[in-house]
Amino acid sequence: MGELKLMKGNEAIAEAAIRAGVDAYFGYPITPQSEVIEYLTYEKPEERTGMVVLQAESELAAINMVYGAASTGKKVLTSSSSPGISLYQEGISYIAGAELPCVIANVVRGGPGLGTIQPSQADYFQSVKGGGHGDYRLLTLAPSSVQEMADFVELGFEIAFKYRNPVMILTDGMIGQMMEKVELKDPVPRWTDEQIQEISGSWATVGKPANRERNIVTSLYLDSAIMEQHNHHLQAKYRQMEAEEVRYETFDTEDAEYLMVAYGSSARIAQKSLTLARAKGIKVGLLRPITLYPFPAKPLLDLVPQLKGILSVEMSAGQMIEDVRLSVECKVPVVHFGRFGGIIHSPEEVLEALEQKIIGG
Amino acid sequence: MRNNNMAEDCIYTAKDFKSDQEVRWCAGCGDHAVLNAVHKVMAEQGFPKENYALVSGIGCSSRFPYYMNTYAFHGIHGRAAAIASGLKVANPDLHVWVVTGDGDSLAIGGNHFIHVVRRNIDLNVILLNNQIYGLTKGQYSPTSLEGQITKTSPYGTIESPFHPGELVIGAQGKFFARSLDNNVKLTIEILHEAANHKGTSIVEVLQNCVIYNDKAYAAITDKETRADRQLFLKHGKPMIFGKDNDKGIVLDGLRLKVVKLGENGINEKDILVHDAHQPNPILHLMLVNMNYPEFPVALGVIRAVKATTYDVKLEDQIEKVKAGSKIHTMNDLLYSGNVWSV
Repeated sequence: MGELKLMKGNEAIAEAAIRAGVDAYFGYPITPQSEVIEYLTYEKPEERTGMVVLQAESELAAINMVYGAASTGKKVLTSSSSPGISLYQEGISYIAGAELPCVIANVVRGGPGLGTIQPSQADYFQSVKGGGHGDYRLLTLAPSSVQEMADFVELGFEIAFKYRNPVMILTDGMIGQMMEKVELKDPVPRWTDEQIQEISGSWATVGKPANRERNIVTSLYLDSAIMEQHNHHLQAKYRQMEAEEVRYETFDTEDAEYLMVAYGSSARIAQKSLTLARAKGIKVGLLRPITLYPFPAKPLLDLVPQLKGILSVEMSAGQMIEDVRLSVECKVPVVHFGRFGGIIHSPEEVLEALEQKIIGG
Repeated sequence: MRNNNMAEDCIYTAKDFKSDQEVRWCAGCGDHAVLNAVHKVMAEQGFPKENYALVSGIGCSSRFPYYMNTYAFHGIHGRAAAIASGLKVANPDLHVWVVTGDGDSLAIGGNHFIHVVRRNIDLNVILLNNQIYGLTKGQYSPTSLEGQITKTSPYGTIESPFHPGELVIGAQGKFFARSLDNNVKLTIEILHEAANHKGTSIVEVLQNCVIYNDKAYAAITDKETRADRQLFLKHGKPMIFGKDNDKGIVLDGLRLKVVKLGENGINEKDILVHDAHQPNPILHLMLVNMNYPEFPVALGVIRAVKATTYDVKLEDQIEKVKAGSKIHTMNDLLYSGNVWSV
């Protein structure tokens, strides 16, 4: 049985990491997520589990420390917020190319540039469409509660190791800063050297047995024929993710004539809009993508025959809406609604958009 | 090059350099005094306001641009030195100032910082060193002292801090000075020297963060004892300090040593005379590293060595290449390189 606590989303990530047997955390302070490293340093994880925590000199250093640590086959976590995540992109591309597992949390704030420290969902493209260079994908989990902030750390590592690919927890300043009840799982010990040997011995820095070549961590393949093969191999992993890792949740979709699609904070807000709309007799449902990549395209398409219109709700100028449109294959109108630049839309504003842009429109 | 540095035509006061923005630093923050000093120095330098550009990175210190009635640039965390480098070489007529902090310039911006010093681009850099990350609310910085309690080092840091002066000299720096936030007179004096110096000048201001690292420099700024713990360096003057002007610095073998005048036959002639213009940096390195309690902390212009700046070398090179080029017309250009008749 776990333990019930009232925590900030950022603290939940940190506590869950210690309990999930994470081996290392590297990060650099940035608002609105500095509580992750502050909580970790205060909790002395080096005494609780032996986990190491290091405040790097920059985000560039942090992501490269992650790159190095991930090569050891251990569970490595980092977190930052939008401007810092932009600095991570080079490292993320290399880590994906070199096929190493790690979990990265982005507690998104408004941009572009230094922007604001208020919440935003404007890093969707960067996370889902590949913020770094090359044909790679970042499996992206979008928590909409403090509970999921905790749960997705463990889930993130499970997926990261299954595919040897970085996993992004894409959240925002609202969920990072708000406090909610969270049920924390019982701690699991960190992997032993023997377990790491067994799980990751074929690629990690665990010593070289006589029966295989040494492991080299690289993303460089100068021979383009080999590079193409490597890319085919990566693409096969992404196809497998699309087949096996799609996660989503629906609310009141059985009789829905209209649908809202929203993730993370916006999904929480849309849940309230849903209640308000249903009270007015509007037959609306909500689909909440939990994985943004892979996007729940098929479940969305399956709902299309009963729908007259879709409202894509996100705290951006309209990014996820592109995936919503691709999913429904132009069979139903899709309209964007969202406040952005650090402003959080209210449930009433979402309802108004639904009534005016979808039902009335 | 245009010459719009018509000092004699411009009569400014510090007020002219103040912007209409509300200054948002905390009450009691050391940055306020430095801002006032910069307003005053820029006015006294006498150049038109529009000939100044002030560049910052990110951090408390980097809010400076909003409070200046000059061209200003609130840049990217750690990148102020690089942004200022681009600005200065693209428009050498501007007087380019950089305001940065210990986190901004020595952690994330460490790389750009040492390279701007090495290149010796004509920039005036003010480094507000409060030994803490203020804007993100109290995590340790690369100048935080070993053992310092902060939000990310609740049991004390285990990292060894950078000493900005040591880093500047290591990066072949030509100008390094140090002041205290509460000594506005000294800050103004130093900033004038930095402004007049051709090349990258680094001015470290030991600055108190009242919220997250209060009294970081109390040991050397306390009214009762500061005269014995601060050494004001002046080129050509002996290194004498103390409430009664009775202490001095001598070279003892390969180390500096504090001595008392009148004791063991020591008189003023034995005391080291400060030579800020000496290209050999060894003594300057020893001076920047002096620290309380063994030594007083050295303040003033510690190193100011003349050298050709990058921007001058760059312009010279462009002129030389132009003069030696065989291409003077469009036709020359079209018929240069590999040309074939078809």
